[in-house]
Amino acid sequence: MLILDVMGRVLPEYSKTHLRIPFHLDEDCRRLRLKFEYTPKELEDRKRSLELLQQSFDAYLLPEQREPAMSQADRYLPLKNLITLSLDDPNGYRGACHRHDSVQELTLSAEQASPGLMAGPLPAGAWQATLSVHCIVTDSCDYKLQIWTEKEREVQ
Amino acid sequence: MKWLACELHTHTLHSDGSQTLEELAAGAVKLGFDAMALTDHNTMSGLAGKDVIASQFGLLILPGMEWTTFHGHMVTIGLSEYVDWRSADRSQIDEGIQEVHRLGGLAGLAHPFRIGSPACTGCFWEYEIQDWSVVDYIEVWSETFASIRTNNRRAYALWTDRLNEGLRISATSGRDWHAQKETGDPLSVTYLGIPEGELTTEEQLVNALREGRASVTMGPLLLLTVSLDGQSYGLGSMIQSSPQAQTKDQGELQADITIDFSVRPGLWSLPEQKFKLILCSDRGQELDAEVVWNGERSDDKWLRLSGLPLSSEPRKWLRAELWGTVRKVNTLIAFTNPIYFD
Repeated sequence: MLILDVMGRVLPEYSKTHLRIPFHLDEDCRRLRLKFEYTPKELEDRKRSLELLQQSFDAYLLPEQREPAMSQADRYLPLKNLITLSLDDPNGYRGACHRHDSVQELTLSAEQASPGLMAGPLPAGAWQATLSVHCIVTDSCDYKLQIWTEKEREVQ
Repeated sequence: MKWLACELHTHTLHSDGSQTLEELAAGAVKLGFDAMALTDHNTMSGLAGKDVIASQFGLLILPGMEWTTFHGHMVTIGLSEYVDWRSADRSQIDEGIQEVHRLGGLAGLAHPFRIGSPACTGCFWEYEIQDWSVVDYIEVWSETFASIRTNNRRAYALWTDRLNEGLRISATSGRDWHAQKETGDPLSVTYLGIPEGELTTEEQLVNALREGRASVTMGPLLLLTVSLDGQSYGLGSMIQSSPQAQTKDQGELQADITIDFSVRPGLWSLPEQKFKLILCSDRGQELDAEVVWNGERSDDKWLRLSGLPLSSEPRKWLRAELWGTVRKVNTLIAFTNPIYFD
């Protein structure tokens, strides 16, 4: 059963913030399925990419490193958006999926979990998905999170 | 002291690595490591079943997690429970570190000068640490061929600055190892020391890092001891000034340096050359010596310089550094963690 279906748009200003998305789980849930996606993944505008890189070189590199770094700017391209998902059950943390895939289909049950998540009982009550917006380099980025629950007889 | 070769910064499929824990462990053993820490980004799920893999490969696997946050990456090791990385505000990282301590773990700054967002999100350390004494260690050598990287030189200088302020902070290397890919670059190893008679356990390794019994190298193991009044002090020790220290009765301070070439045989190589050994402290360079090494032809398993006289001037810390030629670059090859002086 689809229990959560949210979408939204984040802007570069949302970088370095967490979006908390609460949802409720009933007693009879035996497995959770999640689909998390966001788009676009990459910044295609080369001029804008180089501007952003120049800003970060100015912030993070010693003055004498900046020019050599800029001459190798392609090492860092394309610049990417990064949003990661982590999950909390009513008792605490259930892991995170910190990777660059912009489409992730995840499952969680007592016996099995997608990499990054921790298998274990699925207690009923208030759960929370956290979307950590690490970095948005495009003008905007659309995300979508869907969560399905499966009862005993639906779980293979 | 038993010195164990450790790799303290690794990732698997549970975050953005492209290897399983089993593949990682197999790779670590092949490269001569005795222990490694699994430090996946923001999750400890990859540790499930680690004891089986540890005994299968004869490798110690320390639990850990790399806090992969918006304002910095922080490696935490030795704790079995998760601490929430998401609540760390830019000015409140101290509280996160203290929570790691409460669960028996240690926290270190990971690659603090690696370029940050958007190239590598949160990679540059931007947390404002209120009290540096809570920091356990700094990963001063990140990735392969670490010593020639400008970002690592900055991290090394940051560490030295903190030592000069009188802080006791350990220094480590970490490959930030994501995949089983061959590299021709020199690898770094952090050797952690376990006292003779103690069991070789995860806990003892964490203690070693906490107490600064650590030496970092791209080749031979570099060790330093200081003797005073018949007592010998190893890496991480604190030499208390005795009540007589103010008087002329103070004993003579001497340093012994050992370069152990027998470690990880066949897994590193350096050309024959004259190494430069340096003893340095908050007073600057205190002593230097040249050491001839015949490279692969040498039968020397180790080389020792004993009874090096040290000045009786007060100092806060003392460490050894081994300099020489690696891949045709003159660079730092190895350094010890300090011996401290009260």
